Amino acid sequence: MALLEIENLNVTFNTRHGKVTALDSVSMHVNAGETLGVVGESGCGKSITALSVMGLIPMPPGRIAGGEIRLNGENLVTASDARMRQLRGAEVAMIFQEPMTSLNPVFTVGDQIAEAIMLHQNVSADRAFKDAVALLDRVGIPSPDSRARNYPHQLSGGMRQRVMIAMAVSCRPKVLIADEPTTALDVTVQAQIFDLLNEIQRDFGAAIIMITHDMGAISEMADRVAVMYAGRVIEEARADDVLDTPQHPYARGLISCIPALGKDDTELREIPGVVPPLHMLGAGCAFADRCDYAQERCRREKPALVNHGHHPAACHAVEEGRI
Amino acid sequence: MNSSYLLRRIGYGLVLMLCVVILNFLLIRLAPGDPAMVIAGEMGGATEEMLESIREEYGLNKPVLTQLAIYVGNVARGDLGQSFFFDQPVASLIAQRVGPTILLVIVAQVLSIVIGVVLGVLAARKPNGLMSGFVSVFATIGYAVPVFWTGIMLIILFASILPIFPVEGMQSVRLRDAGPLAKALDIAHHLVLPAFTLAIIYLAQYARLSRASMLEVLGSDYIRTARAKGASQRSVLFKHALRNAALPILTVAGLQFGNLISGALLVETVFNWPGMGRLAFDSILRRDYPTIMGVLFFASAMVVVANLLTDLSYRLADPRLRGK
Repeated sequence: MALLEIENLNVTFNTRHGKVTALDSVSMHVNAGETLGVVGESGCGKSITALSVMGLIPMPPGRIAGGEIRLNGENLVTASDARMRQLRGAEVAMIFQEPMTSLNPVFTVGDQIAEAIMLHQNVSADRAFKDAVALLDRVGIPSPDSRARNYPHQLSGGMRQRVMIAMAVSCRPKVLIADEPTTALDVTVQAQIFDLLNEIQRDFGAAIIMITHDMGAISEMADRVAVMYAGRVIEEARADDVLDTPQHPYARGLISCIPALGKDDTELREIPGVVPPLHMLGAGCAFADRCDYAQERCRREKPALVNHGHHPAACHAVEEGRI
Repeated sequence: MNSSYLLRRIGYGLVLMLCVVILNFLLIRLAPGDPAMVIAGEMGGATEEMLESIREEYGLNKPVLTQLAIYVGNVARGDLGQSFFFDQPVASLIAQRVGPTILLVIVAQVLSIVIGVVLGVLAARKPNGLMSGFVSVFATIGYAVPVFWTGIMLIILFASILPIFPVEGMQSVRLRDAGPLAKALDIAHHLVLPAFTLAIIYLAQYARLSRASMLEVLGSDYIRTARAKGASQRSVLFKHALRNAALPILTVAGLQFGNLISGALLVETVFNWPGMGRLAFDSILRRDYPTIMGVLFFASAMVVVANLLTDLSYRLADPRLRGK
């Protein structure tokens, strides 16, 4: 049994266009000590998947319409609010995309980390603050003693993300979800954050779900990868396999878009078109309109995520051996 | 908080007060006709000799700038002049009445902020819920209804229909010799209706304002972070969100203080509360200029002090404003 299993998760949102399906039968899993990369363009459902695991989907307008999320076998979809509060921060923790706005501006960073500790551990405020200082030291913040007394606006973006990481790992969660943790940061800082996450994982043995649209981050971090498109997982395999031999035309597109240093390839590549709005999804494959291999069947029938020889991919063209 | 900022703010406050004093001085000079005539007219008779003695007494035969300098000097020494009607120094008239007014204004302010903010926060929890609708309707009514009407309605309700609160004055005569605790409770009992009457209009505004402010804050990333830590709904609302939503509420609370004092004037009149409002009302009816000027000066001072405190509390509430 995997540590965290998501099975056939369906999430819908009521919007002014009516009810839209944000996640359509999403399944994925992550084992202890493993890093699962979840990739896809904006709006593909990566963050909704993460928020579902955290139990932070705003309801209404959101609704988990079906499926299960099992942590150590316990179904989080049906867990009570009180139980979810116990688990959040303690068993599953999350690092958000925007370190600049994800910390509360009116509390010191030390207090914010200490709060996370006190919510889940029976320790004094003093002890919690000392632990917070130790965590700041652990995530590589210089002079953690005085930094703990700083407010978020006194720290740089990279430092704030380190604070977020310290907060997220403060209770040694089993699952750490990182939602595009480096998107808002400089490239040099990005590498440091990846290194830190890798170290933390070694020390704490946590499973990491790394959400990103950056294939470089995937090759750096992930053991396995789930590629998402328009609310569905369309390919899933070991990271090396997806990077070396992508199956789904969308995954191929994503990987061919990575610009390589030192090559004469001066033109930046892109996948033509955009992710269709969720309320405009038809009966067939959501990628069909952007796909060079699309045929009549693709527009009529949704492909299932099945292994067609190499590794699982949801594509009729792969199934029919046309690619 | 650095002291140069504090000194600068106090300096602004003093400059503002000087402006108030000058305007005050001009008030009686801008009244139609000879100020001596105005004063004499209020005293009920005017022979040429009397006018002359008035001019002498009030220094009206000196150049205007000299008069102004004398007036400013007097105010600086705490001499606000002599009341025509009460025939007492204005400063001591105000000193006798300032306590009840400050008590009424502060209790009303605290009531309106506490109740208003709690209503607003509860409404923000479910922006389309029942509570939210109630707050919106209540806020509109509370804001629209004039304070003297609310006061009179409360008097009718609590004097004839359900006589549980006193509707007049600040103390019961029969408790004149009671102990301090009994006296305090008696004053609190008398304070209920005037304070609520005064609070209702502002309470409604705070409820609306804090609802809007909370809704904005509750959408922030750091609120999601707090929930992701496992913080309870109450902690998210009242700790994480309210501290941030409090900034606009504080600003408005400071600005409202002036309105609250003018509102107190009406409420004190309706409930016969022995404060500065009643003094102002009486002296306006009797055109007792020195008293009007004194009350005006003192009310302005209270507003300036309240704004100064607001400014300082703003910096306490938001660490980003400190050290700038």
